[in-house]
Amino acid sequence: MKQSHDRLTLKGVGKSYPLATGPLRVLEGVDLEVEPGEFIALVGRSGSGKSTLLRLVGGLEEAGEGEIRLGERLIRGPGIERGMVFQEPRLFPWMTARQNVAFGLKEGTAGPQAGRTVEQYLQLVGLEAFGDLYPHQLSGGMQQRAAMARALVSHPQVLLLDEPFGALDALTRIQMQREILRIWGESKGTLILVTHDIDEAVFLGDRVAVLSDHPGTLREVIPIPLGRPRDRSSAEFGRIRTEIFNQFFGESQG
Amino acid sequence: MPFPGKNGNSSFQRLVLPLFVPALVLVFWQAMSELGYLRPSILPSPLAVAKTLAALVASGELPTHLGISLFRVLQGFGIGTTLGALLGLAMGLSPLFNRFLSLVTGLLRPIPTIAWIPALILWMGIDEGSKVTVIAVGAFWPVLLNVFQGVRGIDRKFLEVGKVLEKGPWTLLIRIILPSALPSLFTGLRVGLGFAWASVVGAELIAASSGIGYMIMYAREVSQPDVMMAGVFVIGLTGLLMDALILRLERRLLRWHKGWEREKG
Repeated sequence: MKQSHDRLTLKGVGKSYPLATGPLRVLEGVDLEVEPGEFIALVGRSGSGKSTLLRLVGGLEEAGEGEIRLGERLIRGPGIERGMVFQEPRLFPWMTARQNVAFGLKEGTAGPQAGRTVEQYLQLVGLEAFGDLYPHQLSGGMQQRAAMARALVSHPQVLLLDEPFGALDALTRIQMQREILRIWGESKGTLILVTHDIDEAVFLGDRVAVLSDHPGTLREVIPIPLGRPRDRSSAEFGRIRTEIFNQFFGESQG
Repeated sequence: MPFPGKNGNSSFQRLVLPLFVPALVLVFWQAMSELGYLRPSILPSPLAVAKTLAALVASGELPTHLGISLFRVLQGFGIGTTLGALLGLAMGLSPLFNRFLSLVTGLLRPIPTIAWIPALILWMGIDEGSKVTVIAVGAFWPVLLNVFQGVRGIDRKFLEVGKVLEKGPWTLLIRIILPSALPSLFTGLRVGLGFAWASVVGAELIAASSGIGYMIMYAREVSQPDVMMAGVFVIGLTGLLMDALILRLERRLLRWHKGWEREKG
């Protein structure tokens, strides 16, 4: 990621899909300002439209209402300055890890400098010894690291992570959460992570954006006033976790 | 692999096991001939066929005919697969183009290749042109269909990755679409080569003055059932070798695919 100077602004963003029974509203009136270099965790249930919101920022889908801007520029489609990592690693099985990472370079980039950049990012995600392996020879966690390196190698201002650790086992997941903090710390870009794991959101985010469902609206954006590294067992961590938990399940069950 | 040893990978299972049935058939056939149940003028014994085969190889007659047939296949297969792959790619990439050709391909595809032979002879004469064309038609359809399905069935998620990274259409085609359609292309090539080989023999049986099919036909006319049977056997053996060759090539080029399929379960 690149040091980001552009603020990401979402204003009145809404989205509906046409169905036979009428339009299905998945997002409604989402306002959010993301500061340059900020880490936003977006939590919501499955079907709350959180992935859709991320895809709108990524430009993979078009918002029906409202507007999304990066700095002054209106987002109308995908762009290499907004890197994306999906729930599945989506590595090309016919390319080695190194070739996959190199594919993330801007079109037309080649030469020894490009090669060095690729090596540097393989190293950043701890895969420098595995560059020649094909995706099927890598573990799930390693595949997701390679996918992350592919998204980062072109120095995007914004990195969008769509439940990237969702398919990993609990231990690998915790390890990957630490890694993402390290990577984010080194690059200082803006980062938006979609997750349904409240614990993960509180552990990672500068702010946690809570999305309600049907249709998805931004219920609350909660700043996390904890320094890093965060202690999941601390009282303050628990308090914030409970607060967000109650957003979903109400006070009585908290 | 839950049952090691039962997966057919030991060298005994791979090399020796497939030989049992042919050996059994040959022994039975030879015994029937020895016992006088088979008339040599209708079906000569396997040993007699083997002797004739050796003589045909030694005299150079068989290699010449086989060489001519293989050369025809090479030309026809080259033309047919090239056209099939290009058209399959275009139809896979463009739904509009696919719609445009759907009736034509739907109508022509079910026609057996050999049904074209009389018409092709009428149009092109009985020399090389008509035979190469028949082979091209035989190889064309399997390649067209498989490449079309391979391109059509590409995982949209891969294309999305390309879009996010702002790759141009050429890069998408070369780096994503073509590699992901490669396994299908190979399936098409394998089936196509089989069809091409069957087509050349068919064409030579009907009208030719050389080639392995002609050798068989001529042997029937001059009542040489041993030559006939030797020819039939060589056709099968050649087909088997060609298939093995293409499989080998596939294994080398698509090493990633095997592992990928296994991992995806």
